[in-house]
Amino acid sequence: MSYEVTIEPTGDVIEVEEGQTILDAALRQGVWLPFACGHGTCATCKCQVVEGDVDLGNASPFALMDMERDEGKILACCAMPESDLTIEADIDVDPDFAGHPVIDFVGTVTDILDLSPTIKGIRFELDREVEFQAGQYVNLRIPGVEGTRAFSIANKPSDNRTLELHVRKVPNGAGTTWLHETLQVGDTLDISGPYGQFFVRKSDEQDVIFIAGGSGLSSPQSMILDLLEAEDPRQIYLFQGARNVSELYNRELFEGLDREYDNFHYIPALNEPLEEDHWEGFKGFVHEAAIAHFDNRFSGHKAYLCGPPPMIDAAITALMQGRLFERDIHMERFFTAADGAEDQPRSALFKRI
Amino acid sequence: MAAKKLNIKDKYRLLTRDLDWEFSYRDRKKAFPFEEFEGIKITDWSKWEDPFRLTMDAYWKYQAEKEKKLYAIFDAFAQNNGQLNITDPRYVNALKIFLTGVSPLEYQAFQGFAHTGRQFGGVGARVACQMQSIDELRHVQTQVHAMSHYNKFFDGLQDWSHMHDRVWYLSVPKSFFNDARAAGPFEFMVAIGFSFEYVLTNLLFVPFMSGAAYNGDMATVTFGFSAQSDEARHMTLGLEVIKFLLEQHEDNVPIVQKWIDKWFWRGTRLLTIVAMMMDYMLPNKVMSWKEAWEVYFEEAGGALFKDLARYGIRMPKYADVIEKEKEHISHQAWWTFYTHGHAAGFHTWIPTDEELDWLSEKYPDTFDKYYRPRWELAKEMEAKGERFYTKALPQLCTTCQIPMLFTEMDDPSQTCYRDSVYEGERYHFCSDGCKDIFDDEPEKFVQSWLPVHQIFQGNCGGPGVEDILRDYYQMNLGADNMDIKGSPDETRWKEWKKGVA
Repeated sequence: MSYEVTIEPTGDVIEVEEGQTILDAALRQGVWLPFACGHGTCATCKCQVVEGDVDLGNASPFALMDMERDEGKILACCAMPESDLTIEADIDVDPDFAGHPVIDFVGTVTDILDLSPTIKGIRFELDREVEFQAGQYVNLRIPGVEGTRAFSIANKPSDNRTLELHVRKVPNGAGTTWLHETLQVGDTLDISGPYGQFFVRKSDEQDVIFIAGGSGLSSPQSMILDLLEAEDPRQIYLFQGARNVSELYNRELFEGLDREYDNFHYIPALNEPLEEDHWEGFKGFVHEAAIAHFDNRFSGHKAYLCGPPPMIDAAITALMQGRLFERDIHMERFFTAADGAEDQPRSALFKRI
Repeated sequence: MAAKKLNIKDKYRLLTRDLDWEFSYRDRKKAFPFEEFEGIKITDWSKWEDPFRLTMDAYWKYQAEKEKKLYAIFDAFAQNNGQLNITDPRYVNALKIFLTGVSPLEYQAFQGFAHTGRQFGGVGARVACQMQSIDELRHVQTQVHAMSHYNKFFDGLQDWSHMHDRVWYLSVPKSFFNDARAAGPFEFMVAIGFSFEYVLTNLLFVPFMSGAAYNGDMATVTFGFSAQSDEARHMTLGLEVIKFLLEQHEDNVPIVQKWIDKWFWRGTRLLTIVAMMMDYMLPNKVMSWKEAWEVYFEEAGGALFKDLARYGIRMPKYADVIEKEKEHISHQAWWTFYTHGHAAGFHTWIPTDEELDWLSEKYPDTFDKYYRPRWELAKEMEAKGERFYTKALPQLCTTCQIPMLFTEMDDPSQTCYRDSVYEGERYHFCSDGCKDIFDDEPEKFVQSWLPVHQIFQGNCGGPGVEDILRDYYQMNLGADNMDIKGSPDETRWKEWKKGVA
């Protein structure tokens, strides 16, 4: 049993299990809320309930006083939902966030491509127009799989009747295995979206660096196509990481764009190229390619990272040691059931990292 | 439709950040004279991200409510003779140390944040420091009020602020804060706002408040919760300071690292007294010092330093020594106080047999080997009517001012001695950590007011130890000091409990 908790003013939606605290669920699902002590004594995570019922848990009477309880305040680190819930937290809405409403729609599969030995590109035609920002994701309801699965949108927002997703087959992953092995052209799936806070901060005029790994190319692909379509003048760098040439998918697309646009630069990096690849590009991890290209100085840019957690982690360290900080780093982590590393204690030093 | 309500961010901007002004006819540098001398480079105060958005009107409303609640509980505690519900009178000695050693630090924190806040050119940092300053004043008041009730029934609590200024072991916490307050504003923030409030305060408050709860002291539990509810702001302020300094300029990184090295070392030295309280002074134990250290420093601090590594900050220097110390320091400190029990403003005692067994269990690698035999010897001597008090005054470390009681961590039978010569004089230290701190700023630490030196120089009255304790420290001899066995505290307690099952 789980409840859906909507967090205003951003509109993020999280699933909270019975007996799980809202803060725990939010952090695990990549939604940042202010917090410090984590056990109900400091009140950093105080939120306002807008709608729904909640068990206040072990909130200290000094951290959450009676008058606040009467006003519907809760501490997210102790509070557990007793119904679907809407809360308002002390977080900011990004001025570049368009806030397209989440809608339910149906997609009909028109194309399934083998992008690489482990990644398929799936195209859908949609039953209605879907407004989204480049970089956001959708939730797919997959037959026989509990809950939903999230995938980033790879097409640009102006193609609003189609949907392109890049799906990497996760070992023992029920959802991705079904999409790889059972899904056929002509099938329909229930989809909802758009979701997420990963999008280009267009109001910030700094040059942009995209760092993508694995199927994490999807969001940057959408974001880059969107920027180039709008003839955005800023310099755009795409660092794409893959193991070898066969995994380096959509390479021709980006090599073509690199030739076509003066302000777009494509730098692929392979960490384990095969002999038959005859690879002459950068050898090493994708964050190392970025360090080499920028000579370890990243300040003055905006960076967008998308891919598996270890790649994101290495890229953040590289960027920060090159003097680019949290406010200019945006990311989408591709978690899978195999990523259990989130149970390590974390400090409150960073909000989104 | 109703007018749109301001969101929290806009409200905070209007009510605080907008209160700043441009300096049109005055030199800004003269208005903030302490902002540059430490070598810290601030390029853009507008990048300061408010660690919390509490406006002053809401601040008063919340704090007033907290006070109302707290004092209602104090009143109930007094009316119900809450002091009779504690486990046994030994527990109150932990409170005596807290009131004479820690509560005055809250007052120093109030002074420090008021001064520091004034020196920051950025209005966000100024307002945050102002609120913390007022919080700290509230904390010292609530602690004094909570303990005033105990003062009616137990010895050693009557002259806490006078004792804080003079008594030999209380110069340890006092000089810690004096050092921070005598530093520049950015070092103060790294010392107190970050190192102490964010990383080490959990080791002070959580064990202390749990200790109070385990030992039936509801008044202390309550002021603890009340103070903890302010800590959120203090902790987030400490974090924002460190991020802000590290992001503003890369030249700040080595300076901040040096301060972290210094203040973590000084902080762990200061916490020795908490270690001793947890392992020896609480009749009902919460957890061992070693366990607390592992949970609150090694795990929580480890996660923090993993994140700080992205800025190029490494673990504090001597973290490897600190890790070994958790096995030893509580035992070394309590032994020192036991043998100097005639000169302390609280009572000391030999742990009961059950407590000795608990220590053996919690410290399987060190207690039986190094420390239990001492207590067995002390028991034998006490049984013969020869309870041991040392006649000597201890040598003090010039930096932390703790008696030279710590050993080499790889050889617990050898006291650790270090020294440095500065302008022809030799200075002594308890550790490499304290020696490094001195060597970096000798001109500051040669001014240390070391209680034992002051006694020998004749600045504390005397000449006898008793004269100093009675006249200069204003202790009630025979009541405040000596072993708990036979003390007036113990006699009264037995009287109160007579006939109670």
